[in-house]
Parts: sequence; C-alpha cells; structure tokens
Amino acid sequence: MGKEECKTLLDALNKVTACYRHLVVTVGGTSDSQNLREELKKTRKKAQELAVANRNKLTTLLRDKTISKEDRAEYETLWVIFSTCMEFLEVDMKKALEIGQEFPLNVPKRYLIQTGMSGGTSAVAARAMSAQNMKYEADSNIDVADLKELENEINQVGEMMVEMEMKVNVANWTVEAKQDPGAELKSTISVGASSVGMISVNEETKSACDPTKVLAGVIFCAFLFIAVILAVLVIKLS
Amino acid sequence: MPSFSKMERVIVAMQDPDVGITMRNQRLVITVIPHAITGSDVVDWLMQKFNVSEEEALHIGSLIVKFGYIYPLKEPKNLVLKPDDTPYRFQTPYFWTTNKWPSSELDYAIYLTKKNIRKQGDLIEYEKHNYNLLHKRNNHTWDFVVMQAREQLRAAKQRRKADRIVLDCQEQAYWLVNRPPLGTFDILEHGPERGNCLHSRVQLVIELMKKALIRPRVKSSICLEGVMKFTEQYQSHDPIMAGCLPSNPWITDDIMYWSMNASEVATPTKLRVERWSFSFTELLNDPLGRKEFMRFLEKEFSAENLCFWEACEDLRHGEHSKIAQKVEEVYQQFLVPGASKWVNIDSKTMEKTLEGIKSPHRYVLDDAQMHIYFLIKKDSYPRYIKSQMYKSLLARAIVPQETKKGVFPFMRRQRHSSPSPVLLTQPGEDAGKSKPAAMTTPGTVSQYHWFSPIIPSGDAKPGFNGISDSLAMLCSTPLQPWQDPCLALVRAQAQPWHAQDPAVSPVVLPCVCMFCVPFIC
Repeated sequence: MGKEECKTLLDALNKVTACYRHLVVTVGGTSDSQNLREELKKTRKKAQELAVANRNKLTTLLRDKTISKEDRAEYETLWVIFSTCMEFLEVDMKKALEIGQEFPLNVPKRYLIQTGMSGGTSAVAARAMSAQNMKYEADSNIDVADLKELENEINQVGEMMVEMEMKVNVANWTVEAKQDPGAELKSTISVGASSVGMISVNEETKSACDPTKVLAGVIFCAFLFIAVILAVLVIKLS
Repeated sequence: MPSFSKMERVIVAMQDPDVGITMRNQRLVITVIPHAITGSDVVDWLMQKFNVSEEEALHIGSLIVKFGYIYPLKEPKNLVLKPDDTPYRFQTPYFWTTNKWPSSELDYAIYLTKKNIRKQGDLIEYEKHNYNLLHKRNNHTWDFVVMQAREQLRAAKQRRKADRIVLDCQEQAYWLVNRPPLGTFDILEHGPERGNCLHSRVQLVIELMKKALIRPRVKSSICLEGVMKFTEQYQSHDPIMAGCLPSNPWITDDIMYWSMNASEVATPTKLRVERWSFSFTELLNDPLGRKEFMRFLEKEFSAENLCFWEACEDLRHGEHSKIAQKVEEVYQQFLVPGASKWVNIDSKTMEKTLEGIKSPHRYVLDDAQMHIYFLIKKDSYPRYIKSQMYKSLLARAIVPQETKKGVFPFMRRQRHSSPSPVLLTQPGEDAGKSKPAAMTTPGTVSQYHWFSPIIPSGDAKPGFNGISDSLAMLCSTPLQPWQDPCLALVRAQAQPWHAQDPAVSPVVLPCVCMFCVPFIC
C-alpha cells in the first residue's frame, strides 16, 4: 500500500540524515580523513536519491483528489516530516561545506582540531548506505574536489524545497503530532543504547568514585569465589 | 562576530604539533581518550604566544572556554578556565559558536529527546521545562524529532566506545553554552527577555492585525459620494475653479478682495455669508460669523454657551502659566450652580469636570466643551440659519464687481507698472543709507502697502490696518532691504488667516492631496 511504502522511504531518509549528521560532526576533527570525505559524498548522494523518491511518491499521493480525509491527514503528517528532514539535511550540508572549506586535508600547515576522536566512521557510513562494508575508490584530493559538487547540490536541494512548497499546499501547523512528550521512552529498542550511554556518562562524572566501585567489584568477586568453593566442598562432602 | 573568527584562529594555532599545546591522555576506568589538555597548559601557551601577562592569558582562556571552543571534562557545567591540571578538550568545528548557524530549536529538541531516552526520563529540571515547551511549540514536527533522535542514537552505536563518550561530551558542552540553565551566566545573551522576544514580536503583530480587522472601513462609493457633495457645495467658493471677485490679488496685484473679506467689515460678501450655512465650523471659524452668531444668541438669551466654548478654547490654546487661573475663572463664571452664566451640562460630565478641576490642566474642560459644542450645533445653529437676522444679513451682503480684465491676461502686470521686487531692494539699500522715502513714487505705493505691518513703528497693530494707514506709514519710513517680498510671509502677517485666501482653494487642494497620497504610499 502507498502508505507503507511512504513510511519505509521516509524511515530510510531519516536514517541517512542521522548518519550524515554524525559524519559532519567529525569533519575538522582528528577522525577526519579522505575516507570521511568520501563517505560524506556517498551518503549525500544516497540522501538525495531517497529525497527525490520520497518527494515523487508523496507529491503524487497528495495531489490525488480521490483519497479519503484520514488518508490525506496521514500523508500530510508524512509530508511535514519529509520537509523538516530536508531542511535538516540542507543545514547539515551547508555546515559540511563551510567546515570542509576551512579544513582542507592535504595542506601542510593546516592542522585538524584534536577533538579526542580516534576511531573511524566507516561503520556509520555503512549503516547509511545499507551496505556491509564501505569501499573507498576516490582520489586523494576528494576533499577539495567534492566541495564544488556540494555547493551545487545545496542549491539543488534549496530549489527542490521551493518547488515542493509550490506544488503541494500543506499547512505545517495544522498537522498534529501523534506522540506525546516522553513517547520515546516507551520504545524498547533504545534500552541498549541507554545502558551503554549511562555507563559512559557515569564513567566520566563519577570518575572520582571509581576506586570505590572497583573495590565493590572486587569484594563481590571474592564472595562469589568463596560461594563457589563452599558449594564444591558441600558436594564433595555429601 | 569578529571575536569568533579570532578565537577560531587561536584554536587552530593551538593545534600545531610543534608549537601548539601538548596533548595528554584522559584516563577513564576502562577507556583512554587522547587529546586532553590542562588549564595551566592553556594559560602558559597563551602567555608565550601573545607575550602577555598571566592575568590576561587567564582572561583570554576563560573567554575561549565560555564560548565553548574548549570544554572542561571534570565539571562540564562549570565553564571556567582553572590554571591548574583540570582537564579540557577542544570542541569539534561542527559545534563551534558561530553566528552563521545559531542553534536551532529543532536541534535542541532532538538533543533533549536523545537525553531523555538515554536517561530514561531523568532530565534535569530546566531541561524538563524546556522539553515540554519545545513539544508545545514544535508539535507539528515532533514525530520527526523522535524519529531523528532514535536514528542518531543508533548511528552513534556504530562508533567506538571512546568516540561515543567524546561525542556525548561535545554535545553536552555545546548545549550548555547555547542553552544555559536559568540563572547561570549566558555568554550569548539569550536572556529570558530575548528568548521571548520572538514571541512578543509575534504577539505585537497579532495585536496590530486584530486592530486592523475591526477598523471601520468606508466603501469607496460612499466616500466618493461625500467628495462629490463637498465639491458641489464648495465649487462656487473656490477661487481657482470659479474665479475670485473682484479679482485675484495674486494675479492682478489688487488687494480689494482681501479688504472686502477682512474680519471686521461692515458688509460682508455674499459668498462669505453663504458659507456660514454650510456647517457650524465654518460659522465659528469666521470671526465675523462668530460675532453675528453671538449677537443672535444674546437675543435668545443663550449666549453663555458660546462664551463657555470660547473660554474653553482660550484655555486649550493659551499660556501654560495662566491655566490654573483660567480654570478657576471658568468655574466661577459658568459651572458653579447659581453662576451668572451657568451652562447646562449633563450630570455625568459635570461630575467628571468638577473632579478634573481639582488638578487643572489644559484639557480638563474638554468633555464639557464637547457637550456644549454639540448642544449649540444641534440647537442654536439651525435656528440661527433660519433666523431673520441671518437672512437679512444675506440680503444685505454685497457681490463685488469684477474688475476689467485686459485682453491678454499676461499683459496685466505691465498695466500696474510695478517694478519687479528684485529691482526694488537695490535702490532701497541706497535709500536706507542716504535718502528718505520720498524716493518712493506714488505709482508704486499700491505695491508697497502690504509691507506696512513689518515696519517697526510703535503703534503698528497686528492684523490689517486699512489702506490709508499703511500708506501713511509707508511714506514716513524708508524701505529696508530686509523687507524683501517673501510674499507668503508678508501675507501671513498682513492678513488674518480666516479670510478666504485665493491661493488656498478648498476644492483643488483636497483633490491634489487625494491624488498624491496613493503615489506617496
């Protein structure tokens, strides 16, 4: 059905946007490299494809006069999400251009900011491209060469958004969110992320209490060890 | 802001592996994160690089920290630079404070949602408050916010543990600078007023629109009908449209017109008397009309109304120092019950006025004046227009004869043989120095008489003096060079404004204004 297709397309676009943002955050830092720039380019292209697909689908659906009112309302919510996503993407692209221009990679006297990041971003890019591994096949001066293309693409995105506004007349403010504040807490998918996040946050804020935690861990292990020995003795005796 | 780019340059200079700051490692329990710097390192480096004292280096460094280019690792909320071994780290360029991309609400909403998910709803108080506010304001995009927050968390999971910690610290530092908790120092001056500035601007616009909606609008057909009626009524009175009898002084230099329409003339012109019947304001604005009306009211024993109105006008336009005294006089004469000229005002207005009189100011009698004005307008004025007095005056009124015009209208000037005023000043200068005014020829007298009021003589009265007076005065004193005919100025002094001035056309001027206004707007 049209709605499911739309939703999947939109989810994909959302995923790619999030990954793109993640990649842009690392530009200019120590994780930056030619590979990152290439990843940016590929992610961007993917985002654009998805955007075009989304736009076409939603435009045809919304211009169709024969759909029912509830359907139309649903498509309008999807449309609002889509346009916000595009705005988001546009801002990130502009930032990427700006930072990319400020931090070219091969210039000898320009240093990258030592932000503390040391790992690569290939996994993020792979997630964006829905691929297992990333293949890098670009030249070594992609950081400079890509910027011109990026500029053009930013203009394209801008034009596309204007076109979208003209073609489809959806009032943003009439759309009501389906979710209340705090709805995201009910989701179980994020539990994994939360536990990891909590540990990392705890680590840095309570680093002063770490010795006590280590001590507690050691004592617990000791008790466990004693319990195991006792159990073995009991079994041996009986 | 230029300071941002300067700070950015300093940060970039710090990155130099040779002369930049030495990097250390931050040891957390399991992970080791590189690129930590200590506060004392920063201060030393700044001192060395810019050749400044420690105090100044500390100040610069703390500014850099406050603006979020370097963030502390131990106490993230405390954005100060301590010159000891407290660890700091550089912020990634994406999160630098620049004016080009001010932090957006949507970003903040996504950040808070992410934090909400990570902390399972345990947000700090001000963050909870902001979260709810954002939900209310961005309700239509909330679905996107939640979706994006979830996806960003999933994307972050793809990175190494150490990088994830760094990312969290970076984002937290960014939002501590851009959305500081209430009560803390806000480096970007997003104070509570500023934060609501957009809100109140919107509110202001809403107020203006509401007022514009209820503003009464008159249909243009009705407006134009009104204009038509006005022009029809005043057409014969308009000197440009209907000509001016006896002749337009501006063209023929013959001031008969002004002398006939002076304020204290025995027999007014017919046109003038007719105008009084158009509206009450016309009657009041004409001094002769007002006098006649007063005479009529005296006959009808209701003159106190007009006296009261005149006294109120005098109060409104009079001297400030005399206000209290005038108010007292008015009160004694008109408002005290049993006064000689007691005016009949309704009780509510009377109460209000009596209250106001206790603290007198210029406009304290406005309500009463308005009441009396409408009373006279509705009651006495129509009776006056229908009265015998008015009709007899109308019958007595004269219609001036039109002076003979020359065949060629452009020749009219030469007929009077008055020299151009420019030539006038030069012989006048010499005359002022050496010769008396016997120089002035009789032929030019008619030109000069209207300078008379400017001549500084002891008994020169303001207002029109009459032709004979002015002639006499002129012959006695020389023409001064500064009596240059700046004609408008002269006229204004020579003529009271009430008389119909042929240069001011009641019909043409409004039409001109009407047509000009759309062009101007």
